[in-house]
Amino acid sequence: MTRVLVVCCPDWPEPGDQDEGPAARAFEPVVATVEEFCPRVEVLRPGACAIGARGPARYFGGEQALAAKIIDAVTDRGFACRVGVADGLFAAQLAARAPRPDGEPEAALIVAPGQTPAFLAPHPVGRLGDPDLADLLPRLGIRTLGEFAALPAAEAANRFGTDGALAHRLARGLEPRPLVPRPPSADLSAAVEFDPPAEQAEPVAFAAKSLGDQMHAELSRRGLACVRVRIQVICADGQEVTRWWRHDGLLSSLAVAERVRWQLAAWQAGQDERRRGVTSLGGITVLRLVPDQLVRDTGRQLGLWGDSVVDDRVARAALRVQAMLGHGAVTRPLLAGGRDPAEQVTLVPFGDAADPRHPAGRPWPGGLPAPAPATIFPVPRPAVVIDEAGGAVTVTGRALLSAPPARLSVPGAPSLAITSWAGPWPVTERWWRPADARRRARFQLVAEDGSAWLAAVQDGRWQLEAGYE
Amino acid sequence: MGAEVAQVTRVTQATQAAQLAGVARRHDDDVAPGEAVLPVLPALRELLPAGGLRRGSVVATGRWSLLCLALVAGASAAGAWCAAVGLPGLGVAAAAGAGLVPDRMLLVPDPGPGWPQVVASLLDGCDLVLLRPPDQPPAQARRRLEATVRRSGGVLVVAGDWDGAQTRFTVADQEWTGIGAGHGRLRARRVQVVADGRGAGARSQSRWLWLPGPDGSVTRAEPAPAAGGEPGEWLQRSTG
Repeated sequence: MTRVLVVCCPDWPEPGDQDEGPAARAFEPVVATVEEFCPRVEVLRPGACAIGARGPARYFGGEQALAAKIIDAVTDRGFACRVGVADGLFAAQLAARAPRPDGEPEAALIVAPGQTPAFLAPHPVGRLGDPDLADLLPRLGIRTLGEFAALPAAEAANRFGTDGALAHRLARGLEPRPLVPRPPSADLSAAVEFDPPAEQAEPVAFAAKSLGDQMHAELSRRGLACVRVRIQVICADGQEVTRWWRHDGLLSSLAVAERVRWQLAAWQAGQDERRRGVTSLGGITVLRLVPDQLVRDTGRQLGLWGDSVVDDRVARAALRVQAMLGHGAVTRPLLAGGRDPAEQVTLVPFGDAADPRHPAGRPWPGGLPAPAPATIFPVPRPAVVIDEAGGAVTVTGRALLSAPPARLSVPGAPSLAITSWAGPWPVTERWWRPADARRRARFQLVAEDGSAWLAAVQDGRWQLEAGYE
Repeated sequence: MGAEVAQVTRVTQATQAAQLAGVARRHDDDVAPGEAVLPVLPALRELLPAGGLRRGSVVATGRWSLLCLALVAGASAAGAWCAAVGLPGLGVAAAAGAGLVPDRMLLVPDPGPGWPQVVASLLDGCDLVLLRPPDQPPAQARRRLEATVRRSGGVLVVAGDWDGAQTRFTVADQEWTGIGAGHGRLRARRVQVVADGRGAGARSQSRWLWLPGPDGSVTRAEPAPAAGGEPGEWLQRSTG
């Protein structure tokens, strides 16, 4: 059984909380620190990484000494961290997160070799990370991992299926998927050379997508899949950056490309700190993907509903534009809720998954009635609205109008007579949160040329928010 | 067969019987790559001599407006992907109201100086590209893009002027309903859309449309009455 050491930063956001990109980049210094102890660092998720403990422990004089050194080094960089050592990754992760005895909050928790099943036994079954099992097992009277591990393996597989069998192996302190015993005889890695060297990260990430496809095609031809992939980037001056990335759902080629982008962005940020850009290294010459931890491909079932499948042709076109303009330049709109036309859409960079900021499908009292405006100004345009006498039109705190609006003018354009108008419709938003509280009065204005506008008065100033044409 | 009859019945209610021949011919809703035209909304079909947007063609609309969205809505609803380039202010809710499917939209709000390459790349993946070009695009870039459009079999809808466009749309007349001097609200807009074609479609066509209708959709409208009607009158007309 392999000894695994897990470094876990308790302050990091849980995965799924937000966009993982920034969290992954911020985690880079921790990974770099751990890398000084062992070059094969595996990033489990932003906020947690693991190394094989056996070799470094021998060198640094035991697991206890190694863990203490890592804690010191990471704490010196200004990150709180906890370290756990155990047989297998699952137990080591639990050990890193387990409560410490009083008085030693920072101490590493080391589970002695062979003691892993006993260490796991008192933990609740919810730790297995499978919501279905976490719900089902307690109802069957099985509350702890020890009780679950006591079931015969065959019965667990019969009753709970493939996922249950994996969870049962975890509970017994074994690796979830038995590793393929025979090491792959052929070189399954995929590499691409850049000539001339690529000086920007985007074309490299773009190439990673097709490289990922190539690697997966080669693996699936042999009936294998990889749980972990090693991304290796070599620069023109010979410097090399390598990271392992793990993904339990098996990495798709898009996910591989995403990780290449994270890795390069994090690394470039580190280079800039040391005042040396990628360019000064002569650019990137080789990108290599090496599949690691091969398992038999048991297949993946796509959901029948829910996932909107992106056509391959479209994905290629979008990725090419992203390679030209940057990741955030190509977006997919997501309809959301909100009172403002601008709030009602969330733009998600292509390839990312995100939830709308305000959920759609809820009532938004004070929202605009249909039809929706065709043009929404990203930045509202300042405007001047005057009445017949030429005075500025104002709205009182009680939403009373000083005079009917007669003319509308926008800087840089001749003023137009207002033929019809509606309003004021007062909107008071989020008064309980001063940072984004807003008080406005909205109008719809139709000008003499037939154009229709959504205007608003806020703090005595008029602005055009959207156009209906 | 049953579905076909149901569709024909629905169309009869919504539009004139004269359209029937054209609808019955195109009963398949999917965008088949081999088809020579991309479908458009039923209300716009009579404006186009081919009954849809001819693949490989460029359509110009003079300026950005809801009309651009209405032109691509039919094909988007039928399964085509649509990219919008250089339109940071595109109202996605209005697009969805007109019939576009937001799930099949790609937005490139700021393509920068390399916009012709961006459009050419997108045409490889998307059947429809909406483009607002910079003022006075260089003739060479324009011609090269036209060649790309022909080769890819997509349709480029330009929110601006484009010299080599096969079809040009303009809004000749428009009138908002539902809003008065200090009362009501914007409910619908009746517009007269004129389509000018080149070559086979040289005859100029003009139709009155609700753009948008009261729920954001695009439907056919009666020609504007000579005298301005009551603000609520359009509702009775469009439902009755």
